[in-house]
Amino acid sequence: MNIAVSIFLAAGLVFALAGTVGLLRMPDVFCRLQSSTNLATLGVLGVIVAAVIYTAFGLRDWAMTVKLIVLGLFYLITNPIASHALAKGAYARGARPFTGIDHLQDDLISEEPSENEEESHAG
Amino acid sequence: MKKLSFPAFLFTFLLLLLFWMLLTGQIADIFRGGFSWQILAAGILVCGAAALFCGRFFAHEELRLLLQPKRLGALLVYCLAVFPWELIRFNVDMAVRAFSPGLPKKSGIVKIPTALTSEYALSMLANSITLTPGTLTVDIVTEDGKNYFYIHWIDVASDDPEEAAQAIKGRLEKWIGRIWS
Amino acid sequence: MSDIFLFAAICFIVMALALLFRLIKGPTAADRAVAADSIEILADLALILFALYSGRSIYLDIALVTALLGFVGSVIIGRYLEGKL
Repeated sequence: MNIAVSIFLAAGLVFALAGTVGLLRMPDVFCRLQSSTNLATLGVLGVIVAAVIYTAFGLRDWAMTVKLIVLGLFYLITNPIASHALAKGAYARGARPFTGIDHLQDDLISEEPSENEEESHAG
Repeated sequence: MKKLSFPAFLFTFLLLLLFWMLLTGQIADIFRGGFSWQILAAGILVCGAAALFCGRFFAHEELRLLLQPKRLGALLVYCLAVFPWELIRFNVDMAVRAFSPGLPKKSGIVKIPTALTSEYALSMLANSITLTPGTLTVDIVTEDGKNYFYIHWIDVASDDPEEAAQAIKGRLEKWIGRIWS
Repeated sequence: MSDIFLFAAICFIVMALALLFRLIKGPTAADRAVAADSIEILADLALILFALYSGRSIYLDIALVTALLGFVGSVIIGRYLEGKL
């Protein structure tokens, strides 16, 4: 049991570290959001699985196990919604991918030029 | 505003009550003998009020499709096998990308078509795509009855919408179509 | 066994402190929101591990409430940036 807990905890630490490093290094908002997803999926899941194994077989405290499972499911359900809201907000605020590959911008220009002018004034 | 149907209310209420029982630790208390009727009564009151307000947004008619065992099985396979595999694969890819020197050179927003139409299927696919690191749903639009995703991709392998769709959605769309089609 | 949990919790706290750099520097408001969200997740993980270390489940309740508040905060900041609040 100790070995399994250690392995999952180490996996969680590695992915959380990857998310942190990515968040510090990436060049624009969208890439940083991708790295924060890395932290919030396998980083969280590694720790939660380790904790579930420890509470179920080590502490034998079922109330804690159930709470941990609910916490993990809650993270998996809510994280994409928060990411999507932040990405849409950042895009509306004028953030663009730094490479210039941007089909959404192209479609905005071809369909509604007036709205695009307003955006450029606001930005 | 949509009218609240009784099955939607009941479904939301039972789900909320289940979470109430789990969070207050009452399920474990039933077996240990510390069960308290007062906590259950408070839970029924609170969950009833909450379900009265948000049941109409939470449960639609399409949810009945899950009563068919084939669709329920597909949902279980998707949640337990298909999606975790994709999640781990993309996570490792993204972690390598974060540690390797040099920044992503070809990230950008691409537009991909999807064959799905139902609301549950669309939101499930969008959330799955966002949850796999490396792809992030920015917007969903409907043009001429077809739905399109605008997706920020960390490594744009091809500009062609069909190839990009194949690379991003992979097996996910096929399984979601099997659940909700 | 408990010492491992304490060590991992300290690692998560160090990562959260490193993310403060992005929170202070981040060029736009969205960058800061992403960094704040990630700091909240890391603090949550440290709370979970501390609950295991001390064996008391009250910290898990705190982690659950923190997760809820972090999610609602991120969504509200996103909606505000979008201009639909």
